[in-house]
Amino acid sequence: MDTHDLPVNRKKSIAVARLLDQMTAELDLEVLGGFQGIGRPVYTPDINRPGLALSGYLEYFANDRIQVLGNTEIHFMERLTAAQLMKRLANMFSFEIPAFVLSRRLTPQNIFLDLCNRSGVPVLRSSFSTDEVITRVILFLNEEFSPETVIHGTAVDCYGVGCLITGNPGIGKSETALELVERGHRLVADDIVSIKCVRSDRLYAEYNSIIEHHMEIRGVGIVDIKSVYGVGHVRNTKRIGLVVELEEWRKDAHYDRTGLMEEFVEILGVKVPYLRIPVRPGRNIAIIVEVAALNHRLKELGLNTAKMLNERLMNVMREGRQG
Amino acid sequence: MPDITKDIQVVNSLGVHARPAAAIVQCVLRFESDVFITFNGNRVNAKSIMGLLTLAATKGSRLKISCSGPDAEAAIRAIDDLFTSKFGEE
Repeated sequence: MDTHDLPVNRKKSIAVARLLDQMTAELDLEVLGGFQGIGRPVYTPDINRPGLALSGYLEYFANDRIQVLGNTEIHFMERLTAAQLMKRLANMFSFEIPAFVLSRRLTPQNIFLDLCNRSGVPVLRSSFSTDEVITRVILFLNEEFSPETVIHGTAVDCYGVGCLITGNPGIGKSETALELVERGHRLVADDIVSIKCVRSDRLYAEYNSIIEHHMEIRGVGIVDIKSVYGVGHVRNTKRIGLVVELEEWRKDAHYDRTGLMEEFVEILGVKVPYLRIPVRPGRNIAIIVEVAALNHRLKELGLNTAKMLNERLMNVMREGRQG
Repeated sequence: MPDITKDIQVVNSLGVHARPAAAIVQCVLRFESDVFITFNGNRVNAKSIMGLLTLAATKGSRLKISCSGPDAEAAIRAIDDLFTSKFGEE
């Protein structure tokens, strides 16, 4: 399977508005000021606590990050005289700052708010604790900045293992997925699968928001799996545990007969276990995918049954030689 | 093997909805060449209806068609004709 020339999309920046749009409910956010700067770009998936900047040390000031203000920063500002605070803030605001996020529903001083309003730097406020704000903002930003690609294939959650089924057009990916759904598994996406790499080592398959859980079955047309089979048979995203490539049965090709060899495929720089499954009339591919998924779970639990069988066999042979 | 690209504009008023998408797939399947359509940073296989639908290409959209294969030239001409004929719509 060739995964090297996949087009990779990676956002260079996101607007503060996007953070507000996506995280308002989760972080219980409100806007205190600087609303006109809501379109300001954020370029890095990281945050900064500007304590040192407020104390006057501006070398290495990570101004391009979202600035999180907690108890420490707010109380420190309160201890400064108005003149000191004005000067420190003016120095800070000579840098481009995307936004401030306050935690614990803290109330900043008016000098600070006025300056944010004048400079158009959005001030958001959450009711959550500082560590909670930091964790959730970083998680959100990381996900936003994750590289993404689109693969022609089918993604199914089979016994809790995210299986990405690939193969040439007409090989039977959709039909296999349909049978898996029929057998109680969940469809993530058919034909168009968005793939996202999160935290540089996890791949997630996601459905496309336009086609959702519709599927094209040749001869029948477009079918909505969610309507036909119900909400229990679909999900919108699933971490990929296994890539299964269906291919036409070739006499001369070598297929793994023992399961002792483990192959991997690399997608967006992440290595995922990979199986090549030959397709032939009369071969029930759905059941093969099921057993592959279950075997993958066993391996994850530390039980490589093929290896165990072979070790037992070798023990028997060793004992036989000695006796 | 020839590798050709061509920019094509959507001219029918409803854009590339299900029926035109099916017509494109039908058309492209006659050819051996691989055909991809790129729009708005998305690149999809023109032999997939679902892929074409995700483009959500409205009237006036400019699509980049790329063909590679032994009959690429004929394929691109056929697709061009199909778009120009507005898929038999308005």
